[in-house]
Amino acid sequence: MMKQFFDEMVSNIEARLLDHYTARLRFTLETTRLCQRLYSGTHRVALCGVCAPFDLLNAMGINSCYEEFLGGVFAAAGSAGPFLEEAGHAGFLADICGWQRAVIGAAAKGMMPTPDLMIATSSPCTGGVAAIEHLARTFDCPLYVLAIPPDDSERSVRYLADQLRSMVDFVAAHTGEALDEGRLREAMNKTNEARETAIEMFRLAQRIPSPVRGRDLMNFGLVMPLFFGTEAAVEITQAYRDEYAARLERGIGGEPEERLRLMWLQESIQFKHPLIKMLEEGYQATIVVDELNDVYWEPIDVDDPYVGLARRTIAFPFNGPVDRRLKQIKKLVQAYKIDGAINPCHWGCRQGTGARGLVGAALKELDIPVINLEVDCADARNFAEGQLKTRLEAFMELLGSRRGCRSMN
Amino acid sequence: MYIGFTCAYTPLALIDAAGFTPYRILPMGNAPDMAGQVLHDNLCPHVKRVLDRAFAHDLPELAGLVLLNSCDAMRRLADAWQKVRPDDRIILVDLPLTSDDSAVSYFGQELSRLAETLSQWSGRPVSSEAVAKSIEKYNQLAVLFGSLRQGLGNGVVRGGAAYLQTLYNLAVTKPFHETYRMLKGVMEEMKNPCAGYDGVPIFLFGNVLPDPEALGLFESCGARIVDEDLCTGSRVFTPIEIREGSEEIFPQLARGLLRRTRCARTLLPGHPGVIAEEVLARAHACQAQGVIACTAKFCDPYIARIPGVREVLRKAGLPMLQIEGDCTMRSFGQHRTRIQAFTEMLRG
Repeated sequence: MMKQFFDEMVSNIEARLLDHYTARLRFTLETTRLCQRLYSGTHRVALCGVCAPFDLLNAMGINSCYEEFLGGVFAAAGSAGPFLEEAGHAGFLADICGWQRAVIGAAAKGMMPTPDLMIATSSPCTGGVAAIEHLARTFDCPLYVLAIPPDDSERSVRYLADQLRSMVDFVAAHTGEALDEGRLREAMNKTNEARETAIEMFRLAQRIPSPVRGRDLMNFGLVMPLFFGTEAAVEITQAYRDEYAARLERGIGGEPEERLRLMWLQESIQFKHPLIKMLEEGYQATIVVDELNDVYWEPIDVDDPYVGLARRTIAFPFNGPVDRRLKQIKKLVQAYKIDGAINPCHWGCRQGTGARGLVGAALKELDIPVINLEVDCADARNFAEGQLKTRLEAFMELLGSRRGCRSMN
Repeated sequence: MYIGFTCAYTPLALIDAAGFTPYRILPMGNAPDMAGQVLHDNLCPHVKRVLDRAFAHDLPELAGLVLLNSCDAMRRLADAWQKVRPDDRIILVDLPLTSDDSAVSYFGQELSRLAETLSQWSGRPVSSEAVAKSIEKYNQLAVLFGSLRQGLGNGVVRGGAAYLQTLYNLAVTKPFHETYRMLKGVMEEMKNPCAGYDGVPIFLFGNVLPDPEALGLFESCGARIVDEDLCTGSRVFTPIEIREGSEEIFPQLARGLLRRTRCARTLLPGHPGVIAEEVLARAHACQAQGVIACTAKFCDPYIARIPGVREVLRKAGLPMLQIEGDCTMRSFGQHRTRIQAFTEMLRG
């Protein structure tokens, strides 16, 4: 059933792309193709933690994603509800992250792809490790654990780099295929190429007015790593870069009459909701950047990729002490000249939402107002639309009046 | 001088060797709820109660704080503590997720870094010999607590699990010699037989349950705790094997800590979800008729694994009751009726 669903969706998107090519649609196509491969029953599949080195896995011919990605796919497709209910029946409390409950429920209902192996990552969250462990037990599947140190000392980098090498041996032992050095080199070159293009793309996105439209880059920073090491990553970043360059050349922004520039913190609300449309149409407010839409890592040395991959993994803004994340947020606030930030406090997210007060304090230092929305980004059932709209409206009015005061001064 | 700590994986012997007294900041007391100013409502009450104590200065004078990167909540506690008490000295020690050889080696290096930091704080070096000696000292406590746990199983500890918990709490907040002297005294007392308590034998597991009153509540509801696996209980005191001259001290300490009875956050990748079988084995070993899982609300390592444990126990025919709390008696007391019903059901 899932395979058929994604087969049809891929055909549909391919047809739409022929008619009207957009970077977002190209990105969606690749995301859907990944789902198609995950559910094909013929491709090798790994379910992982968020910080797994997907370019390394792509180089080994493993189709992989982090478990929360599928939780997001279910939510976006409007099908997460029954899976969340199933998880609840099995005793997984609603206090657990909705992405993780969705995949646990889907597994119980036989709606998850059958993994060949699993790779847990200690970062970004403890709950993710627990969910991966549960799935590994459910599928009776080999499990590898990557412990990601919180700091980037040489010792920590070496520890993680050694684990990555060992992970490659683990994968090879379970697939019977060793990592081809040529493919590894090629994958790292693709990763670096996508990185360079992404930097150009983000630079364009920072312009005033920004060429970004509200949903253009939603999930980009979280989902793109799944395509690292492949030509698809290069094509997607090029598509965005060219689209933004063209918009700027024509002198148009992503949204007409951009008035307020917003930053979206943490993860996106995946199910259908009217908030972004309301921001755009009602207040000419554009979400110009998501918190993770940035290149925060150095190019990977193709001659010694494991060290570079380890450094990149440790540099993930949600890894380790909150200071790393706060620095990243501050950097983006300044680069994108943000008026305000929206923080959907995903219920069940200890590492992200848990730091809400600290994030708020850091933004206050920069005189950037932030609104905290109490939501479960995976679960539409408890979405208090009216209340959230009212709060956002008040927030927009606040930002608008601040902007008005600034122009008068 | 005291060094504050919060996690059962903390190397107490290392703190002792540096000339400090380890002081566990237990989530107890009457500090007002303040942590919500910095930490979200969805974070575990353990760290929030600890932070409440920091806000309220409900602590002895601390020479520093040792936190372990054991879970999201502990990491956020480290972040928040620095915000609340920016002048405190603090170190976050990374804790690997597994206990394989590379994890042991890495954690050994982390412990070495901790030793250097403690040396700076105390102004005197921490020698390997001193660490080995302190490990031996704490092993003595572990042996004494082992005997007490055995006594608890046999129903000869006066005051039962609540009293044992009082001893655990003293052992993690008082200097070694005080605890040692006290435990020796209790061992002497145990030689005089006391009237056995006839409650239903229960194995208790979970994370944070430091309030002796909570343990007493179980017994007032007809349960008899015959063994437990809690991070505020027996898990802190298990012997660490040291072999002189065979290896440097820090890897040995690291191995001992990582391979002692595990918190749910530590994995055996070859046996995913093995905590379920471990709980079953422990419950069988102490001849428990039922199991109570006691977890702090929002504790991901436990709440995500409880369904697996429940399933294994169900298949083995061993009933389980799950209790979630916020580290206060006001929440725990609400479970009285459920605990009573559970023990009545077990009595059949």
